[in-house]
Amino acid sequence: MAPLSLRFAARELRSGVRGFRIFLACLALGVAAIAAAGSVAEAFRQGLSSQAREILGGDLAVTQRQTAFTQAEQAIFEKAGVVAYAASAEAMAQAPSGERRLVELRGVSEPYPLAGKVELEGALSLSKALAPDGDAAGAAVERPLLDRLGLKIGDRFMVGNLPLVIRAVLVSEPDRLSRGFALGPRVLTRLSVVQAGGLLEPGLPFGVTVRVALPPGADLPAAKAAMESALTRAEPDMSYRLTDRSDAAPGLRRLIGELEYFLGFIGLASLVAGGLGVFGAVSAHLEARKPSIAILKALGAEGGLIRDIYLIQLGLLALLGVTIGLAVGATAPLILGAMIKDSLPIPALFALYPWPLAKAGAFGLLAAAAFSLTPLARARATPPAALFRRQLGGRIGLGAETLAAGVAAIGLAALAVVTAPTPLAAAIMIAGVMMGFGLLWMLGAGGAALAGRLRGATRGACRIGLANLAGPGSAARTATPAIGLGVALLSAVVLIQSSLLTQVLQVAPRTAPALVFSGLSASQGPGFDAALAAAFGRSLTAETYLRAPFASGRIVSVRGLALDRARIDPADRWAYDNDISLSAIGPEPAKSGVFEGRWWKSDYAGPPLAVVTREVAKGANLKVGDSLTLEVLGRRFDVRIAAVRKVDFAGFGANFPIVLDPAALEGADLRNVAIAKATPAEERRATLALGRNFPGVNVISVREALGAAAELFDRLSLAIRGAAAVAGLAGLLVLAGAIAARAQARAKEAAVLKVLGASTGQILGAYAVEYGAVGLIAGVAGVAFGYAAAWPVVVVVFQATWSVDWAGVGALILGAALLAAAGGLMAALQALAKRPAPTLRSE
Amino acid sequence: MFDADAPLALLGVCLTLPSAAGPVEILRGVDFTVAKGERVAVVGPSGCGKSSLIAVAAGLEHPTRGEVRLLGQDLARIGEDGRARLRRGRVSLVFQSFHLLPNMTAEENVSTPLEIAGEAGATGTARDWLARVGLGSRLRHYPHQMSGGEQQRVALARALAARPELLFADEPTGNLDAANAAVVADMMFDLVGEVGAALVLVTHDAALAARADRVARMFDGRMLQGA
Repeated sequence: MAPLSLRFAARELRSGVRGFRIFLACLALGVAAIAAAGSVAEAFRQGLSSQAREILGGDLAVTQRQTAFTQAEQAIFEKAGVVAYAASAEAMAQAPSGERRLVELRGVSEPYPLAGKVELEGALSLSKALAPDGDAAGAAVERPLLDRLGLKIGDRFMVGNLPLVIRAVLVSEPDRLSRGFALGPRVLTRLSVVQAGGLLEPGLPFGVTVRVALPPGADLPAAKAAMESALTRAEPDMSYRLTDRSDAAPGLRRLIGELEYFLGFIGLASLVAGGLGVFGAVSAHLEARKPSIAILKALGAEGGLIRDIYLIQLGLLALLGVTIGLAVGATAPLILGAMIKDSLPIPALFALYPWPLAKAGAFGLLAAAAFSLTPLARARATPPAALFRRQLGGRIGLGAETLAAGVAAIGLAALAVVTAPTPLAAAIMIAGVMMGFGLLWMLGAGGAALAGRLRGATRGACRIGLANLAGPGSAARTATPAIGLGVALLSAVVLIQSSLLTQVLQVAPRTAPALVFSGLSASQGPGFDAALAAAFGRSLTAETYLRAPFASGRIVSVRGLALDRARIDPADRWAYDNDISLSAIGPEPAKSGVFEGRWWKSDYAGPPLAVVTREVAKGANLKVGDSLTLEVLGRRFDVRIAAVRKVDFAGFGANFPIVLDPAALEGADLRNVAIAKATPAEERRATLALGRNFPGVNVISVREALGAAAELFDRLSLAIRGAAAVAGLAGLLVLAGAIAARAQARAKEAAVLKVLGASTGQILGAYAVEYGAVGLIAGVAGVAFGYAAAWPVVVVVFQATWSVDWAGVGALILGAALLAAAGGLMAALQALAKRPAPTLRSE
Repeated sequence: MFDADAPLALLGVCLTLPSAAGPVEILRGVDFTVAKGERVAVVGPSGCGKSSLIAVAAGLEHPTRGEVRLLGQDLARIGEDGRARLRRGRVSLVFQSFHLLPNMTAEENVSTPLEIAGEAGATGTARDWLARVGLGSRLRHYPHQMSGGEQQRVALARALAARPELLFADEPTGNLDAANAAVVADMMFDLVGEVGAALVLVTHDAALAARADRVARMFDGRMLQGA
């Protein structure tokens, strides 16, 4: 025979789960959000893994910048398997009309591609698309270039001094995802053409990559290790990056991981907000069951039996809620994936993945335990005297249930931290949510207390509304934190998004250069300045134009020790992971930003010195006087840090991460880079005019790049806003729960008010005041917390200018108040729908 | 001094409850004893503390002062769970508003205290008792499917099925019409006599009180006579 508690629980559950709809909805919503975020991320990860060979373009790839591969290196590659070489460089494309645009010119050797397929429009095969036509080499180009330069298939155009003929539209290349962001439309041609065009000269900003297809059955890690050791033996000083197909697009994987966590975090916040709904539903259920509990106690049931009866019910209901959430979270990506699979920029394999579902399930069960065990403690402690005095409730003391609830809450936070890509950031976010939650709860309670004081000064419907708000069943204490948390998340997203978009679309065009010119030789400098001034039709000033020597190089060692990248904060690792830009400047520029150490004298000629930005210094804890070993233009040398400075990378100035004294790079044929502020009209005139005398100088439109970034950011933020709306929905569910819990009391209250002569309008008004006030408090407090969360993200993390989207913020506050008031009106209508006499007789 | 064999003895029991308007003295030094098998009616005006006397005597409420001995046990010395165990099968209650478990059938309502007490054959016993109160055909009916009189008969069956030593009845006919009240009263006195339980009956009904062995009168929280 089943244990007593199980039998009694089964009898209780026979009455159905009607009172637990909010409980189930709150749990299911949070679990579904977490499961969906995890499932989508896993679909992308699996998609990337399934096409890893195509994405990398082979089994192994070696990339280096500014230097071609030597004969010895090529021999090593060719020994390993079938190879395909590619080189890419930025260059200006020019139409016969004189229209110009920066492009990414990419030359590939036979038998590219080693894996996957190049998709073309207008040509049957890649070899036909790249076949020459007289003196012009065949090329496949992306459609935006055709649109921008007014070209079509069959037309000729120039890239630098290379004549090309368009034979096809380049739709996609299999290895595009592993190559990252391009500043301009891509132009694909033969490697020999790019080599002949003089774009791969030492010192020019180009990159070369070799992709290797290993023989079938080859051991990938062994082949990679063998190649690494052979390259080190052959070229000990070679600076290259060797990747294999298992790590084809690391940046993308990192982005997917971070997006998954962020969306999952919003799901978790929904679960926490919904937790109040769980708490409210369990409390309401146990309150309704108080007479039964008291009877059972009067009949001899111990507290433990009472607890077990309801624990079993809640456990089963939690499992049901989590199962519903998992079903929705697992199937929604499948349906969505089937609908949009073809338009996704990243390969995705939508399927049922157990691990994200298990994780979401664990979050759901822990949240259910954290929020429902405490009311259970009250049920256990309900005195049998509640039979005589209904208002008696059990006290919540320190007991097994409260301890278990605490352990579950800690488990919930710990699981969130452990599964995060950056545990510290996750811990800060979770601490922020918990603190915000606590403060919102206090604000709700404070709002209720204030309503109690204010009601004396009001009359009629307003007084009734405020009295209800202050009363024992006030929605202010439960719905305010839940709605507030949703509003806080939504407003944080809105504020971050609006600030960054303002930065990209308004602030940056004002403060950043509009144009960047690269590929200038030092000797071209003065002539270039004059040509640009002529094109602009105005003289160039230090405020609107700057030209400086430029090279790229990398930090090889710090304080005489080889770099240990793992010990560098990921946020600052960019300066140590990649080539970074350097300059050589003699006199200290105005607004140099030096805050530690001193810039060298303009005639300094001693041992090499460097000024680094504070980001570079922070990464390896560099101090003035420390030494760095740099590799620039194939040469390694040591420099000593003379000063650390603060620069605004988004501003106008010589914003190089490292600046050397001119003597340090003496003798090197440094290229120049120039930046200028310009109106769109000046930009267009300069781009056209420079084509005549400076065809080799690349013109990079910052305006275009910012526009592309804004578009990308807008798409990302759409997904994030959607997820944040889930948290808002959780808040509304809690409000619905609070309304439902008081439905019977409301019906009686409405009946009494009717008996006393209150009009329908007055009763509706009272409820609108009560719930509208809840929404208003939650909206204002939520926006305040969203502001507090968004400000450091914008100002500290993104180093952008803080700007507030007041329209968005106002809409959120108004929306919260109106939705809550609408909920109150619905509750009132429900209460008014009941006839007063039977309602009053049922007491 | 207490009679050691008395199933219930209260000595100097006071009960003060908090209220929004300040503490309210409900019981003011009540002495009250019930002998084995004795049937005592407690009468008095509304609000004089009769129901509170039952709550304190049955261990459902803590007295503010004084001593309560139930079935020989000093209730102050045992916790809530201990008091629950003490009541199991030995002390029962019947209420004016029935207090049946709404989600349980009549049969389950009656078997519940037996199951809690760990008695074998609880269902069979419940059926027998429901038959004895004339509800043998309503075993599977829920409380909301029954009339007030029927609900109170289920409550009576539930209270007596375990053959308790002491039954507290708080206005058991207060919510019933005259005909049903008479039926329930007859059943209660007959069945209490049959099981040999002592009875503490709180009532306003003078006729009903007159059927008891003794009548105790309360006024303003005090026992005036018949304690």
